[in-house]
Amino acid sequence: MRKLLVVALLITLGILLSGCRFGSENPEQVLTIYSERHYDTDRDIYALFEAETGIKVNLVRDSADPLITRLQNEGADSPADLLIIADVGRLHRAKTFGLLQPVASTVLHENIPENYRDDEGYWFGLTRRARVIVYHPARVNPSELSTYEALTDPVWANRVVTRTSTNIYNQSLMASFIALWGEEAAKDWAAGLVANFARNPQGNDRDQAKALLAGVADVAIMNTYYIGRMSVSSDPYEQEVAQTVGIFFPNQATTGTHVNISAAGITQHAPNKEAAIRFLEFLVSETAQRLYADANFEYPINPAVEPHELLTSWGAFKAQDLPLSSLGVHATQAMTLMDEVGWE
Amino acid sequence: MKRRINHDGPLFSLFALIAGLAIIVPLLFILRHLFEPSTDAWRHIRQIWLLAYIRNTSVMIFWTAFGTALIGTYAAVLTTRYTFFGVRVLSWMLVLPLAVPAYIAGYVYADMLSYTGTVTRFLRLVSLPQLLQPMTMAGAVFIFVFTLYPYVYLFVRAALKRQSAAYAESALTLGVGPFRAFFLVVLPLLRPALIGGVFLVVLETLNDYGLVAYFNIRVFSFAIFNAWFSFGEVVTAIRLSAVLLIMVFVILVLERVLRGHRRYTVHVKGRVIAARPLRGLARVVHPFCLWLILGFGFLFPTMQLMHYAVLTWRNTLNMTLFYNFMNTLTIALGSTALIVVIALMLANFGRFRPKGWKRAWLKATTLGYAIPGAVIAIAVNLFFITVDRQLYPLYRWLNPASPVLVLSMSLGMLVFAYILRFMAIGYNSIEAGYDKLGETFTEAAYTLNHRKLSTLLKIDVPLLKSSLFAAAVIVFIDVVKELPLTLILRPANYDTLASRIYEYASDEMIQDTGVASLILIMMSALLIYALSGPKKRGRSAHVRPY
Repeated sequence: MRKLLVVALLITLGILLSGCRFGSENPEQVLTIYSERHYDTDRDIYALFEAETGIKVNLVRDSADPLITRLQNEGADSPADLLIIADVGRLHRAKTFGLLQPVASTVLHENIPENYRDDEGYWFGLTRRARVIVYHPARVNPSELSTYEALTDPVWANRVVTRTSTNIYNQSLMASFIALWGEEAAKDWAAGLVANFARNPQGNDRDQAKALLAGVADVAIMNTYYIGRMSVSSDPYEQEVAQTVGIFFPNQATTGTHVNISAAGITQHAPNKEAAIRFLEFLVSETAQRLYADANFEYPINPAVEPHELLTSWGAFKAQDLPLSSLGVHATQAMTLMDEVGWE
Repeated sequence: MKRRINHDGPLFSLFALIAGLAIIVPLLFILRHLFEPSTDAWRHIRQIWLLAYIRNTSVMIFWTAFGTALIGTYAAVLTTRYTFFGVRVLSWMLVLPLAVPAYIAGYVYADMLSYTGTVTRFLRLVSLPQLLQPMTMAGAVFIFVFTLYPYVYLFVRAALKRQSAAYAESALTLGVGPFRAFFLVVLPLLRPALIGGVFLVVLETLNDYGLVAYFNIRVFSFAIFNAWFSFGEVVTAIRLSAVLLIMVFVILVLERVLRGHRRYTVHVKGRVIAARPLRGLARVVHPFCLWLILGFGFLFPTMQLMHYAVLTWRNTLNMTLFYNFMNTLTIALGSTALIVVIALMLANFGRFRPKGWKRAWLKATTLGYAIPGAVIAIAVNLFFITVDRQLYPLYRWLNPASPVLVLSMSLGMLVFAYILRFMAIGYNSIEAGYDKLGETFTEAAYTLNHRKLSTLLKIDVPLLKSSLFAAAVIVFIDVVKELPLTLILRPANYDTLASRIYEYASDEMIQDTGVASLILIMMSALLIYALSGPKKRGRSAHVRPY
């Protein structure tokens, strides 16, 4: 027993002290990324960057807010060079917290359209996702659909589903409306939508699409991204869902469809700023953007790269013309308003 | 008494002091936020949500506690007091749901009952409607009850095994029916075990985040994350967890008040009640119910996961997953070893009837279990960064190019957080072991002039072997399942099975969690088998002192 204890303790100490991790090694130049994105595609892109430059990419992955808190706690001592988040509102928050630094790069400016990067150069878009109306073709004719606002019409009573108000995609949708129409109108819209809900918000985006096939609702507000992912799901029945439902880009004649971006910013105290800029430039290069588009069903940020053919088959669309930082500016307000109208 | 303590110096006291400080100081880092001025987010939450949070949390706790108490006791009584076909297998298999994390069960059940799910498809095939709504409060309670009842089951079972036959038999002799005898005599004696088990269930329920977030049930753990996520406010999150802590405290006090001055310690000297065979219809009904319980908590979800695994193993069974598995295994083993050793030292410090500050100090070291994981994560992170800054001169002396943050970028931070979080489980199991053991053996060793450390290693540890093992198994399973701490505090490029599962699930790829989930569940299941599976005859005889 005593031997066993000693051996166990030695092993433990060994692991702790060596900081040994299975599947890792020690290179010379290191770039540390705090990222919310955790897709295999991203990993492949990073591996490509490592192979091309010899710079080792260290990845710390978590949700946006723990990462931001961690950056705050670490302050000037943080090892992070880059913060990548799948919601521009959070990057704006990181910017206002003073966690990011501005960067000037012609490559970034050339590859990223103006409205998808911070005008002061604090963050840069990597990929785009559109939040659209998805419908069941047997019960809804796309000609009945027009705008997000039209979904508050009594015709749609008990026919709409979407996720909860705690979900970031819905919060940024709401924030965009506050920016476009002002607080009152946005609140009315949310209240009208809640009145038409077919059920209490629950589940993830895929669950909303499934609710259409289950007959719970006729239209769902969700991201195109998940329809794409469902179309290649390992579960053949999910593929069936993706093939059945229809995609409608709302507000084409007016303000445009809501778009949120994954974006990256270089941290205030980045120990390896040079490499970080190089990495950012690589991420918006056609090579990397091609991978994002093909494997992850996101709209590339670089206009030179075509989206995945499934996405192109839905047609081109007009996106909201809005400085994206406004999504961050109105984030808390959006959350508060959604709570007030009883959007669960 | 005094002379004895001087043998190895104040070994246990010193150790307890250090361990206690290491646990309490990080918590103080975070508790000071409580006294900062109110923010808009806090006012908003208090106005709109606080009552709903309290109500939903209470409802959830109440039904989960009630359900687990009922099922756990039912299963424990049947498997200890009756014999029937399959009882030996069932009696250890009923612990298996402990291996299934509630969040995995949540994802799996929601999927099975969704439009594309196995159950719904089957019902469509036979033209029946699928009316169950899994993503509700009832659904969440269902999942908590069937994955957490083993805590109650284990506690009550152990108590039943120790309960002397004399009490129940006296009642029967005095003309009370067996049914009334159970409720009047057997059940009241089970109270401490029942409370102990249910309390663990309640804390696990309060701490779950994955399931309630997915089902959108507005309870405290969800609120705490949400305050942090949607409002970006750590202060509000901490304030909410303080409210939660108060609720836990109230429950504890309530139990104390209800218990009054009654005592439940029963020393078994007499015979234990012999198990009787089930007769008649009961022979079929009860085993069926038990298998059904096991089905809901373990068999059905595992079967569905196997189906996922078949669909996705080509994409998910790879070297990365093997590394994730090795990471999980090593960090869980390491943390478990440390927790058990520290808990053993603490339990030694707390033996011989602790009073006053000693008692309070011990209680404080086990506080971590009642505090939400996310809050512990922030506290530990802040603590480690502070320590790193203090140690920087040392780092620079060792390596001039050293960065400031060394410890807080290491695995040590995560291990430390696990220790803080799960100390209570290890400590309570070992303390219970010491309670059963009594003090005579150790006293005798001290009298014979044995040193403290050698007494601990040569006398106590061998006698406590089964308690230590039980503590280790439960801690191990908890570490393997743990989520918020693992996500927030793991170092760069470090993944465990749980964090991998979380990533697949948060990308809404539930099928891809199949292989990882199965491995995670099987790891725990194997240990449960080792802990409570069928034993060879005679093996337990020399382990137990009585």
